[in-house]
Amino acid sequence: MDCYTANWNPLGDSAFYRKYELYSVDWDLKEDLRDCLVAAAPYGGPIALLRTPWRKEKAPSVRPVLEIYSASGMPLASFLWKSGPVVSLGWSAEEELLCVQEDGAVLVYGLHGDFRRHFSMGNEVLQNRVLDARIFHTEFGSGVAILTGAHRFTLSANVGDLKLRRMPEVPGLQNVPSCWTILCQERAAHILLAVGPDLYLLDHAACSAVTPPGLAPGVSSFLQMAVSFTYRHLALFTDTGHIWMGTASLKEKLCEFNCNIRAPPKQMVWCSRPRSKERAVVVAWERRLMVVGDAPESIQFVLDEDSYLVPELDGVRIFSRSSHEFLHEVPVASEEIFKIASMAPGALLLEAQKEYEKESQKADEYLREIQELGQLPQAVQQCIEAAGHEHCPDMQKSLLRAASFGKCFLDRFPPDSFVRMCQDLRVLNAVRDYHIGIPLTYSQYKQLTIQVLLDRLVLRRLYPLAIQICEYLRLPEVQGVSRILAHWACYKVQQKDVSDEDVARAINQKLGDTPGVSYSDIAARAYGCGRTELAIKLLEYEPRSGEQVPLLLKMKRSKLALNKAIESGDTDLVFTVLLHLKNELNRGDFFMTLRNQPIALSLYRQYCKHQELETLKDLYNQDDNHQELGSFHIRASYAAEERIEGRVAALQTAADAFYKAKNEFAAKATEDQMRLLRLQRRLEDELGGQFLDLSLHDTVTTLILGGQNKRAEQLARDFRIPDKRLWWLKLTALADLEEWEELEKFSKSKKSPIGYLPFVEICMKQHNKYEAKKYASRVGPEQKVKALLLVGDVAQAADVAIEHRNEAELSLVLSHCTGATDGPTADKIQRARAQAQKK
Amino acid sequence: MAFPHRPDAPELPDFSMLKRLARDQLIYLLEQLPGKKDLFIEADLMSPLDRIASVSILKQHEVDKLYKVESKPVLSSSEQLCFLVRPRIKNMRYIANLVNTDKLAGRTRKYKVIFSPQKFYACEMVLEEEGIYGDVSCDEWAFSLLPLDVDLLSMELPEFFRDYFLEGDQRWINTVAHALHLLSTLYGSFPNCYGLGRCAKMSHELWRTLEEEEDGETKGRKAEIGHIFFLDRDMDFVTALCSQVVYEGLVDDTFRIKCGSVDFGPEVMSSDRSLKVLLNAEDKVFNEIRNEHFSNVFGFLSQKARNLQAQYDRRRGMDIKQMKNFVSQELKGLKQEHRLLSLHIGACESIMKKKTKQDFQELIKTEHALLEGFNIRESTSYIEEHIDRQVSPIESLRLMCLLSITENGLIPKDYRSLKTQYLQSYGPEHLLTFSNLRRAGLLTEQAPGDALTAMESKVSKLVTDKAAGKITDAFSSLAKRSNFRAISKKLNLIPRVDGEYDLKVPRDMAYVFSGAYVPLSCRIIEQVLERRSWQGLDEVVRLLTCSEFAFTDITKEDKASSESLRLILVVFLGGCTFSELSALRFLGREKGYRFIFLTTAMTNSARLMEAMSE
Repeated sequence: MDCYTANWNPLGDSAFYRKYELYSVDWDLKEDLRDCLVAAAPYGGPIALLRTPWRKEKAPSVRPVLEIYSASGMPLASFLWKSGPVVSLGWSAEEELLCVQEDGAVLVYGLHGDFRRHFSMGNEVLQNRVLDARIFHTEFGSGVAILTGAHRFTLSANVGDLKLRRMPEVPGLQNVPSCWTILCQERAAHILLAVGPDLYLLDHAACSAVTPPGLAPGVSSFLQMAVSFTYRHLALFTDTGHIWMGTASLKEKLCEFNCNIRAPPKQMVWCSRPRSKERAVVVAWERRLMVVGDAPESIQFVLDEDSYLVPELDGVRIFSRSSHEFLHEVPVASEEIFKIASMAPGALLLEAQKEYEKESQKADEYLREIQELGQLPQAVQQCIEAAGHEHCPDMQKSLLRAASFGKCFLDRFPPDSFVRMCQDLRVLNAVRDYHIGIPLTYSQYKQLTIQVLLDRLVLRRLYPLAIQICEYLRLPEVQGVSRILAHWACYKVQQKDVSDEDVARAINQKLGDTPGVSYSDIAARAYGCGRTELAIKLLEYEPRSGEQVPLLLKMKRSKLALNKAIESGDTDLVFTVLLHLKNELNRGDFFMTLRNQPIALSLYRQYCKHQELETLKDLYNQDDNHQELGSFHIRASYAAEERIEGRVAALQTAADAFYKAKNEFAAKATEDQMRLLRLQRRLEDELGGQFLDLSLHDTVTTLILGGQNKRAEQLARDFRIPDKRLWWLKLTALADLEEWEELEKFSKSKKSPIGYLPFVEICMKQHNKYEAKKYASRVGPEQKVKALLLVGDVAQAADVAIEHRNEAELSLVLSHCTGATDGPTADKIQRARAQAQKK
Repeated sequence: MAFPHRPDAPELPDFSMLKRLARDQLIYLLEQLPGKKDLFIEADLMSPLDRIASVSILKQHEVDKLYKVESKPVLSSSEQLCFLVRPRIKNMRYIANLVNTDKLAGRTRKYKVIFSPQKFYACEMVLEEEGIYGDVSCDEWAFSLLPLDVDLLSMELPEFFRDYFLEGDQRWINTVAHALHLLSTLYGSFPNCYGLGRCAKMSHELWRTLEEEEDGETKGRKAEIGHIFFLDRDMDFVTALCSQVVYEGLVDDTFRIKCGSVDFGPEVMSSDRSLKVLLNAEDKVFNEIRNEHFSNVFGFLSQKARNLQAQYDRRRGMDIKQMKNFVSQELKGLKQEHRLLSLHIGACESIMKKKTKQDFQELIKTEHALLEGFNIRESTSYIEEHIDRQVSPIESLRLMCLLSITENGLIPKDYRSLKTQYLQSYGPEHLLTFSNLRRAGLLTEQAPGDALTAMESKVSKLVTDKAAGKITDAFSSLAKRSNFRAISKKLNLIPRVDGEYDLKVPRDMAYVFSGAYVPLSCRIIEQVLERRSWQGLDEVVRLLTCSEFAFTDITKEDKASSESLRLILVVFLGGCTFSELSALRFLGREKGYRFIFLTTAMTNSARLMEAMSE
């Protein structure tokens, strides 16, 4: 136990700092670190190295090598740098390597050295070259700031959404600033630069001089400046050997420390953590490392070899040729437990557990002590928390064991914090493994979230581990396993040496129909790699046709797309493809395609009916669909044409079409319609009034009503109106006119083909009982009863019915016997019925 | 008299949630266009909208004036115009005209088009072609299910029928699938699915795909509705073509029920104003008579009137306190009942007057003759006379179709002569109507091959049934025939009646057609539910020439409670009639089921015919 705090160094009264080894790296560095441009990504990210021949003017013909290593020194990529001189390297939040060239171009590479894209920092830099560049991270993403040869700054706050901002000029700036940095305040990026004894703050509108409060006098130059990870604090190293620490707003001073070294430090970074007790800065010279805070003494370390500092959320990573270490302020929980002679509940609990394992009764004593103070829950909590901050699994285990031991004596201790810590530690230990090389601390991991960690694993192509983690944490498939499988598949399709069939099969075997996996996305990636055939194969696995169609169209497989769209049942999709086809094919081919797709065809027809009538006609023509063509022209004769001649012409075309369709009935009917139209026109001319568009029946009726009997009869003959209709027609018309004499004459003109019952009916409808009775007598025997009932002669109806001995008629009459006077009639019928039954 | 439900009948799910959902979504869409705006509503959407959100609600969300989308010029002076329309090209033209007129006048306003229930790509295309795509913003109001009654959901898409069954346009099927998906997310998935018809099959498949795409969240929901039955309208045109004689159907045939309410004109109200009346289960009087055969309704109403009188009479001989009680508690209810009673009595009178005028008895007699297949000649001459007398173009057409379907098409001579007569009576433009009817299979000519039908029946007696089946299959592939007569025999649609059919105490679903005919659609549903599959119905399905499109899809799940297994959702694709609802409600009472109906629209014979007319 005593040795556990051996690497703890106190700074001031309250805080301890410790440095421990993450990995003993064994990377095969070809160059010294000092000769390289170095970039290490935060959150245990990868390290990029690029030899800089440009500075030393040494054999410019030799191309440097860009190397990328994991934090544990495993090589990830290595390739010859063939582009222009690089000023600065940096990692974006998505772990893309940004290489800022002297000419202002920024090349973006993936973790595995795959070129992604490039962009430029503007035209101005082309002339003036880039002197210096910084890559920085804000809540909006990763930004790039450059200093040009004209001593102007340009920055872009987010390289994902590139917007260049040229910062205002610093008045009277002749020389290169001695140091500069990016501050991020109030959601905007500013630049702080030091020129001689002066400090300037550049925002995008103005340049203002600033002075840090309480700075020791005699400063003639600032040698180094550092901003904390969260942009809250600023440290300045002056040529007097003072280190000033304060808020980034430069409004408040925290402390100042005189280190008595005037040599410019190689690096200076903040070393603090959320809720730090002490705010400290780590300063590195060639062979010396100093931790400085608000304390009279500093902590000093000796550096054996060239080292490089990487600021992290809760500490500093320091790596050199042979080792990779982490320096941080000891977290509160650990401090409480491990501090020498600590009586904190957690410390006691840890002791108790150890004694318990030794089977010593002391365990009970310790436990009692905690319980008497009622601090057992805190003790357990402390142990759990401290376990999170330990790097070594053995120590994690013993702390967790203590926590678990303590938990036994508690009634209601919610188990989730313990369980979650165990899970988190398993994940952390897994990714910290040498082969994976992501040395995340617990706080970093919580800040990063599991989703981002999974993304980073995917980025490193560590698919199996990512899936294991998802399964271990029981993440929902859509967020977890499926997402990773989809990424894997997208990577898989890029393997050009494997045949399409094998890739497709391999992907399908792995993915099956895992929910949330979009085959179309994978296919799109395959198409992006120029593997159209593979894309089509993959699309076959896509269950949603809607997703297949857009890609198929993009790949110019329109006909296949049309089939898929029709399968999907989504008419909008079909329509999309149709319009695509319409533009892609010539008209003839387009129509031919439609011909084989009835659903698409009917859809297109519907559209044409409203929007493109001519196309509709062409469609019918092409199919030799004369029937529809005829209908089309008939419709046109009503809708499009106003003049009679035009209408007749349209009808003529229709009739021709009907003949071609072998629909003689329709053709004849159309011809009749033409004749009728012409005739109606003539009638209108000669007689006035409205005839057009009446039916034949109505035309004749109108003529009769207008007293044009002769013409009416002529028309009836011309159009061969059947007798029955003509009689009905005349009967109704004459009754309407109340020409009863004429009607009677008509009724006697010959034997009525419709019988005389209609006469009775119609007269009754006109409420002419007198006339009705005339005809009632002439009604044939079958309908006599009905007729008599119609005119209201119930008694006689009864007589006839009795005479007919017809049961149905009898009941009909009986149902009409409702009036008071019908009593005797009803009796009569009843008697007749009884008689009939007797027989 | 009105049959109560069996005590063990399951409770219906509460569908008012659908209304609330639709209303909230509409409000959200309106709020997307902040500030005062004028709202242009398509005529077809007015009644449904009325059921969802009142004018005052619209006003609350800064709708200033309401206009109807029609061909008249627009006088709106508002700076923001909002259009609430069905996705039709015609409407797009209207909007385009309006916007372009504004542009010419140098006027800029904000335009927003809300499509209900969804937008179609074709519509956006038209907007683009008219050059105003950038000027308007488009949105969707996914309002596809309107609960018209406690057991009736309507999509209010009457055009579904024509679009699908005549034009072969499948665009609405997706809408149906989405509507079902909405239902299943709210009330749980449907473990047992059955269906008949091409459209039924497609809807079911699309809906299934939607369900599968959904991630697990809704899957665990307990199914409230145990069965779903999809049915295409073209499987049974006959029922839809018959005159309706149950009260609700008759009211629909006579006055047209529109979106669950009816306009009773002066002749009903016996005053000079007309009244819009909501017809649903909340109307106590209506609820008791809606499913009754019309011949019972009068008797019931007069009994009711007597009861009412007795209730009123009770107040005689009351002391002050009782009177106070009576006035404060019962009187209002009685008054309400009184009002409803007089309303329905008025409606009955009006129906009687209209029906006797048109010789309703003769008409019904002819229909029954057609259904039973006797005296075809006589019926044909009746139809001829009907046409000659110009009784009504729609009615004549309906009878012709009924004749055609029951007889497997008209014999060529009748086909020609009836059509000629019809054209002479009602105008030559109906040539197009006939072409439509023929395409939809409603009015066809007996193919010369029908001579084979006689042969076929002879052959079938000679060879084994199986072989005969094959032969018939070969025949039926020649032309889609209704085979009504054979189906009727197989399913026993014409009940054999000994003596009078007592309409007061119905024995079977035939009561909705005076005991003459069991609706085919309802009979199929009954049979399938009984067997829980199509087993044993192969012959019927084959006769319907629908073998590929009869399906069952049973999910084995223990989750379905016995309660839910007695709730059945029937989806009518292409519309259903009130008679069918009555028949199934009757079936439900007999068997202890409750039916829920989802239809693309309520329909009847006249609406079917109008949809086919030009």
